[in-house]
Amino acid sequence: MISMSSILSSRSGLILFFLCLVPLATAYLDQGDYLLRICSTAYLYMLLALGLNVVTGFTGLLDLGYVGFYLIGGYTAGLLMARLGWSYWAALPVAAIHGGLWGLLRGAPTLRLTGDYFAIVTFGFSELLFRIVKNEEWLIGGPNGFVNDIPAPTLFGYELWQYWQQYYHILILLILTLLVVYRLHNSRIGRAWQAISQDEEAAQTMGINLHEYKSLAFAISAAIGAIGGAFFAQFQVNISAGVFEFWESILILCMIVLGGIGTLKGALIGAAILGSLGEVLRISLSWMRLPADSRYLIFGAILVMMMRFRPAGILRSTQKSP
Amino acid sequence: MKEPVLVLDQVHASYGNIKAVKGISLTIKSDEMACLIGANGAGKSTTLMLISGILKPQQGTIWFQGQSLEGVTSEKRVQMGISQVPEGRHIFPEMTVLENLELGAYRRRDKIEIKQDLEQTFTLFPQLKERGQQRGGTLSGGEQQMLAIGRAMMSRPKLLLLDEPSLGLAPLIVEQIFEIIQQINQVGTTVLLVEQNAHLALMVTDHGYVMETGKITIEGESKELIADQRIREAYLGE
Repeated sequence: MISMSSILSSRSGLILFFLCLVPLATAYLDQGDYLLRICSTAYLYMLLALGLNVVTGFTGLLDLGYVGFYLIGGYTAGLLMARLGWSYWAALPVAAIHGGLWGLLRGAPTLRLTGDYFAIVTFGFSELLFRIVKNEEWLIGGPNGFVNDIPAPTLFGYELWQYWQQYYHILILLILTLLVVYRLHNSRIGRAWQAISQDEEAAQTMGINLHEYKSLAFAISAAIGAIGGAFFAQFQVNISAGVFEFWESILILCMIVLGGIGTLKGALIGAAILGSLGEVLRISLSWMRLPADSRYLIFGAILVMMMRFRPAGILRSTQKSP
Repeated sequence: MKEPVLVLDQVHASYGNIKAVKGISLTIKSDEMACLIGANGAGKSTTLMLISGILKPQQGTIWFQGQSLEGVTSEKRVQMGISQVPEGRHIFPEMTVLENLELGAYRRRDKIEIKQDLEQTFTLFPQLKERGQQRGGTLSGGEQQMLAIGRAMMSRPKLLLLDEPSLGLAPLIVEQIFEIIQQINQVGTTVLLVEQNAHLALMVTDHGYVMETGKITIEGESKELIADQRIREAYLGE
């Protein structure tokens, strides 16, 4: 069993300390900015994996459309900033709330569903959103999306567009998310989710309101996805529909499966590996003159190997308990 | 005369077009141990689900301690003192025995008393104490049934609903479990037992109801029902 308290222990403090030093080290490297970009991307995926883990890991419902909330967050923040001139710091919480609301809305008709049926609805939801943003020209630019018109966030008069600034920006968002999810996991709410994931009927006879607790998980998970999207919007400067394809949902799902589903450490480790690997592969595959999308073949191969040799994830935790 | 804990008055329920319960009425007195017997598909489990609030009746009223349960959610009913041991035990397989028991007290906030009740559960089921840190899914069938009953007792019920506690268990274990159920009843919990094993159920209870295709056809003192010729023929295999 993994001791979750270790996240806040001195060892975690040490890890965090080193993570904070990374930009100082990369400042002396030729490829420093590239490294920071890989790290930031990995942190973003870690944040998304934590969010997906709330539904798929904690309550045990397979969500195949998580990218939908990522999309909502990205487009909400993008629209508010690029079209209405909002500050990022106002757009970020609004995007999170907007995502959370859609989490509830998507959740409402699926409350009675489990297993494959739930998964199909989530898939349909994200595909629907994807098609809409891909074809809507007037407001969000259709398939091209927002081109270079999402401004950088400003803090005390400084524009935060440099890589080391983005690095700290996403690191702080990640840590805050981790704290929230960690606290939830170890609360009464977390225990109720755990009960629901193991036996819905029994959970109900214990006096756990299934609809309430599932809805809460949907909203929190979606809000985290939307926060990731809002960060991504300003990080990429331009966002377009292509980023939010179905495969992205599968990739995030692979991350939590790789690390060990249902555990926070698992989600973080899985996302760190696949998130950074994705970025590295995209560059190295083009050197080898292979299409960038062939990285999915490698992800697939990793997953097959995992299923064969470590079906419970890298951390080998078969438990859904903390 | 003792105050009734539970009253069902002309309750109907159905799954889609299929009528499962067709206007049943029953009264369970305080501290009593009653049973609902009948063949498979007679509507016994449905009746329990109506009482615990997992299913809503289409017609009729259920009264608990003089209060109508209409519109009362299942989690509120747990808080009021109705606790159900579902058919097939439904243990949380990945949680330890202790965690399972603690979830039984989910609606309670009185930490000290929860701890006392935990000790009491362990005196009732000493086997569970030994297995406290073991995962629920690794227990034997009998132990899982004990855990399911212990977990239900952790909510301090006034009315304990038991759905087929003998299902799939060896006769010796069944005997052991029924002894404990009787003990629970003697300490002051009203029990409603649903069983296919009619003989066993009538042996341990005070009052019995026989259900057939959604209706209660016979009712009476359990010791009289054992002697009843109709029941002997239909359920006791004579």
